[in-house]
Amino acid sequence: MLIEQAAYGNRWRQVCPQAKACFALAGLVAAFVAVSPGAALRVAVLSCMVSCLGAGVPGGLYLRLAAPASGFLALSCLSLSVAVDSDFTWRWAPDALPEMAALAGRSLAALAALLGLVLTTPLTDLIGLLRRLRCPEVLLDLMVLCYRMLFVFSQAVHDTRTAQQARLGDVTTRHGLRSLGRLAAHLAVQVWQRGHALHLAALARNGDGALRFLAPDFAHAGRDTAVAALAGCLLIALARWTV
Amino acid sequence: MHIMEGFLPVEHAIGWSLASLPFVAWGLRSVRRRLREQPEQRMLLGVAAAFSFVLSALKLPSLTGSSSHPTGVGLGALLFGPLAMVPVGFVVLLFQALLLAHGGLSTLGANLFSMAVVGPFVAAGLFRLGRRCGLPLAGCVFIAAALGDLATYLTTSIQLAWAFPDPAGGFIASLAKFGGIFAITQIPLAISEGLLTVLVVNTLARFNPEELKGLALFARRGARV
Repeated sequence: MLIEQAAYGNRWRQVCPQAKACFALAGLVAAFVAVSPGAALRVAVLSCMVSCLGAGVPGGLYLRLAAPASGFLALSCLSLSVAVDSDFTWRWAPDALPEMAALAGRSLAALAALLGLVLTTPLTDLIGLLRRLRCPEVLLDLMVLCYRMLFVFSQAVHDTRTAQQARLGDVTTRHGLRSLGRLAAHLAVQVWQRGHALHLAALARNGDGALRFLAPDFAHAGRDTAVAALAGCLLIALARWTV
Repeated sequence: MHIMEGFLPVEHAIGWSLASLPFVAWGLRSVRRRLREQPEQRMLLGVAAAFSFVLSALKLPSLTGSSSHPTGVGLGALLFGPLAMVPVGFVVLLFQALLLAHGGLSTLGANLFSMAVVGPFVAAGLFRLGRRCGLPLAGCVFIAAALGDLATYLTTSIQLAWAFPDPAGGFIASLAKFGGIFAITQIPLAISEGLLTVLVVNTLARFNPEELKGLALFARRGARV
């Protein structure tokens, strides 16, 4: 997972997650309150520069991660660019251009805020932040177990796909679909097996309740959060009061 | 199809989050009750969430010749039940936003409503209806998975059409636009996912019938699995 690699390898790894979440929230608010598409686009560019130049996230990686969402945006803008009359005939709608521009600006600014958070903060830190925000224990347990197990499953998928491909399991579309079905069925059985094994392991350690973890300490958490809050306010002001 | 971060206007983003909230609370209540009765389910649901996440990242060959990703909505609903799929779906969608940048935080409520509420409930309901009408297992699984998938995309199209009505034709024309554009990719994908889910259930029935009979939706007519 490329996002996790960047989240662990960036310059802001030791900055407390509250500060980064605060700045991302401000970016999201700025995207929604921007007075014009140009202002929203400025917020997007600033958030992108903060991530790439400030935190040291590689630009190529950033663009690669933004591509699928941008594809969705392009497809949706395409559907907004046509109008359908009452007799269901299609025509270009040049009057929809301002709406398309506002939508594209807002979406790109919000996407930049999200990427700024996830590319600089590992998921374990975000789960810790959710625990401090009193997210329900059941959801937190699901998140912790899901995070741990998805790497185990990813490895199982990789190994099984390699074995299937080595036996020409993808030689035709039909073979490919059948191999995929067997892979998913094999993984589904592992859900029960691994769930049972984890339960036994927890029982062996007297674990019969919520999962507990030590939260890492972040130096200068108060200072970092204050700086992020100030930067966030400036970002909102830029979006709200400059055309 | 996940709605990207920031795409919906703020009132729609909040509205869909509020619409999803009762289902999340209902799902959490159901999961808590399940955990009190069967504590071993805590691990199972966590592992199920990871399974759903990994499943949604697999490349599925589509009938149009391209490849896409399965939603896992139908299979998840059949294996774990539609109510458990709400909190599981919440975690999966949150992880997809945080680990893959698919979807987003402001659109989490809207994506949750289409993928973790409408899709699983439609799939489970159709599966039950099919079994009650005496349809063969493979037919029920195909209908549940394919139509559960289509229901998800129809809901997404409705969400988009409601947020961006056509200036001339209004909501209906906008629904035709979004539905028409997404249908090109989603109808073949739904058929592919239906076939894939049949293959998964057939493989489970062949090699692991005991696990399949232990599931609530299959247990009702366990002898015919």
